[in-house]
Amino acid sequence: MKRLLLTRLLSVVPMLFFVSLFTFLLVRLTSTDPIAQILGQGASDADRAEYAQRLGLDRPLVDQFFGWIWSAVQGDLGNSLYTSLPVAESIADRFGVTLSLAIAGMLFALSVGIPLGIAGALRHGSRWDRLLTIVVSTGLAVPSIWLALLLSLAFAVTLRWFQVVGYTPFSESPLEWARGLVLPAVALGIHTAAVIARQTRSAMIEVLQARYIQALRARGLPRRQIVLRYATKNALVPVLSVIAIQMSVLVGVSFVIERIFAVPGLGTLLIDSVVRADFPVLQGTVIVVASVVLVVNLLTDVAYGLINPKVRPQ
Amino acid sequence: MAATITEDDESRAHTRLWQRLAQRPLALACIGYLLLLLAVAIAAPYIAPYDPLHPDIKSRLQGPGAAHWFGTDDLGRDTLSRLIFGARTAVLASLESVTFGVVVGVSIGLIVGYLGGWFDRIAMRVADVMQSIPAVLLALALIGVLGKGLANAMLAVGVIFSVSFLRITRAVVLAEKEQLYVDAARVLGLRTLSILLRQILPNIAAPLIVQASIALGTALLIEAMLSFLGVGIDSTQVSWGAMLETARQFQTQQPLLPIFPGLAITLSVLAFNLLGDTLRDVLLPTGATAPGNTERHVVPPQPVSTPPSSRTDTDALLQVSNLTVTAPRPGGGMAELLSDVSVHVMRGETLGLVGESGCGKSMTASAIMGLLPPAVHIAGGSIRLAGTELIGLSDDALRHVRGRRIGMVFQEPMAALSPVHTVGRQISDAVRAHTGLGRKQALARAAELLALVGVPDPHRRLQDYPHQFSGGMAQRVVIAGALACEPELLIADEPTTALDVTIQAQVLDLLMDLRQRLSMSVLLITHDLGVVADACDRVAVMYGGEVVETGSVRATFSRPRHPYTAALLAAMPRGEGIGTALATIPGRVPPAWAWPQGCRFHPRCAHATPSCRQAPSVLQDGVRCRRAGELNLAEAR
Repeated sequence: MKRLLLTRLLSVVPMLFFVSLFTFLLVRLTSTDPIAQILGQGASDADRAEYAQRLGLDRPLVDQFFGWIWSAVQGDLGNSLYTSLPVAESIADRFGVTLSLAIAGMLFALSVGIPLGIAGALRHGSRWDRLLTIVVSTGLAVPSIWLALLLSLAFAVTLRWFQVVGYTPFSESPLEWARGLVLPAVALGIHTAAVIARQTRSAMIEVLQARYIQALRARGLPRRQIVLRYATKNALVPVLSVIAIQMSVLVGVSFVIERIFAVPGLGTLLIDSVVRADFPVLQGTVIVVASVVLVVNLLTDVAYGLINPKVRPQ
Repeated sequence: MAATITEDDESRAHTRLWQRLAQRPLALACIGYLLLLLAVAIAAPYIAPYDPLHPDIKSRLQGPGAAHWFGTDDLGRDTLSRLIFGARTAVLASLESVTFGVVVGVSIGLIVGYLGGWFDRIAMRVADVMQSIPAVLLALALIGVLGKGLANAMLAVGVIFSVSFLRITRAVVLAEKEQLYVDAARVLGLRTLSILLRQILPNIAAPLIVQASIALGTALLIEAMLSFLGVGIDSTQVSWGAMLETARQFQTQQPLLPIFPGLAITLSVLAFNLLGDTLRDVLLPTGATAPGNTERHVVPPQPVSTPPSSRTDTDALLQVSNLTVTAPRPGGGMAELLSDVSVHVMRGETLGLVGESGCGKSMTASAIMGLLPPAVHIAGGSIRLAGTELIGLSDDALRHVRGRRIGMVFQEPMAALSPVHTVGRQISDAVRAHTGLGRKQALARAAELLALVGVPDPHRRLQDYPHQFSGGMAQRVVIAGALACEPELLIADEPTTALDVTIQAQVLDLLMDLRQRLSMSVLLITHDLGVVADACDRVAVMYGGEVVETGSVRATFSRPRHPYTAALLAAMPRGEGIGTALATIPGRVPPAWAWPQGCRFHPRCAHATPSCRQAPSVLQDGVRCRRAGELNLAEAR
């Protein structure tokens, strides 16, 4: 197990390097000129050159890239071109918010998706299963932004069960913090819940036809035990890889959901940096988010090893 | 020559595709909706009642009314007109991004898949990197680089899609490259490019169409999201996503604002997704959906309708009498999988049940265990275990018979064990299902059982998973699980067939040894008459869902009375005859819905007469053959 963890951890390093290189090239080799954005199109060449020198944009690209990598390893992601605030600090302030939102969304999706998928598989072909299929298809098609609007209109504006907008930090009041996450997490998680329900259902249907399930019945095990202990664990193996992909989707969509509920996560920072071509912020955010996604993939692989003994190194 | 055949297959496949789509009303509804969407998008300037951008402050935030059917927004712009023009944006954006994704992804996939080597490795590394960045983030980053605007936004989305199209294409190319016909085409002198286009493109068409349909829906969702954020469209364009952004600001004043654009997005994405799902079912059949499983109707427990006609051996541990099992036949109606099957197993006796595959041996075992597949039912007969009728028992009552009184061993030991649970857990759960033992005691019992079946180092091996066992050892584990509660009857369904030849004898010896030590009865299902000769007291030969001959092994083997038994015996390899050709039985067992009229064996029988074709033979005196009295089959061997 330790060796599996270590090798997977080591493979993250080159991936991060490639992600950095990819974003760096993407950002620097394109025509949009940050200096023109900051100083305006009418700036003199002398001003431009001076500004470029100040920001280090006049150095050779290779120097810039390895310079950036070197500082990034030390935790310095540069400064924003507009606010001059350190990128690492801005990200650190907001990172926890986005992550807790994504995790809350995933927890909601798992707690809804897996039971629904199992229920559908157990009554495969029944009227209830067909209804469930329709619900799942709809869940896959509903845009989360619309869901967020409807949820906030119904439960925050009309029923007043939740705050309409705003965010309470965990340190201030854990209860209010959790309450503030409910609506965004539900809006975020429904699409993922539908994906997981669908995957669980088809995996479960396949598992229930397996010979070992028949063998368990032949040994006289109670049906409950066969379904909950044996079939579910086997069906979760393919579901796990879906969970890894969905975690990345959730982080992405949370940027949009944050905006609706005025939750101060990475989304606002990122969208501002996109609109203003604030490259250090953009690049820093991409790297941080990509690292999170890679770590989630790593954790999923480890969980995969825990649940599926075949991939464990002997 | 080869090309014409492919084209014929192609066009036939297409007609079938349309026919099959036509049978699915949901798919037709989706296609209808999407065509309507396309028509609305094209005709938007002609059918929209108002200019979607024209503000009219006097009538702002109105509800649905005669002038504005769907109401107006914060600037008094007509919601219906904006929806219609929004359809234009949505269709354009989806088509742009998916077309870009298909063109780029397929071309790169074709190239790297075909060239392989470094090209392939670099391309796949880039694909990995791009997939480790969330799609929305990548789109935002690309917009940050390319600049705002719908075209750029959807180009960014197209770049993301191209990764999944690249993967599909590459996988197909790699698979097809292995295929002989590409090599054959190369030998024929076709140029590389034409090989790619002519041979591989038709093969990636199906998965590509499915993926593209779902990607269109996803593109629509992402377009809405980007427009909602204000990075997708500029102010001269209308988008459903941007309408939702307006709704966000003013929904407390006009709660109807979010309804229409949200519904439009949901319906359109739903149509793309459902169409994609249907296309996947039609174009990429996996065979995972067994037709029998969809119609799981619970059949009321069958009363014992037919009185046992044959001699009832009251001492018999297992008495199966006149068992008939039916299943729906593919074209409609019912097929008899088992007809009037009667066998019995005495206490301490081993009965061999033999016949070719498809003759109903395993079905008989499943019926006894009460584990018939969902669509298969018992239509009549009786199954008694020590005098107790099993047919009609509730599943819970049967549960106490299965595992406790009847144990079962399966053909493929690896398939009969859950791959993600330790063998200790699987055996101890079987023990605990029938006893009040705690976990620790049950594990100790499981170790005893493993020792009993000859697994070395049983305590340590309890923690192992099935894949850590060899085939023969895994079968010992399955046997241990079946013996958990020392059943009176052990049903062994081809217990040695899937094993190595060298292991077969060991496992068979083990079974025979256990039968002695635990004084069990055994129902041994096999197609290997050598096994029957070694291990069984009596034998029942099955053909076409019927018992055709029963008797003691010694008598039956030395003097077979049914031509099928004689043919099986003639096909049996015997040690001395090395070099002599084995006799084979011409033809094969027909499927259950096509049993021949008359005697079911007559088309393959060397001794069939016209009367065999007309009336079915009956089981009389242990043999189901009207010519049993006149034939001397012992000599024919």
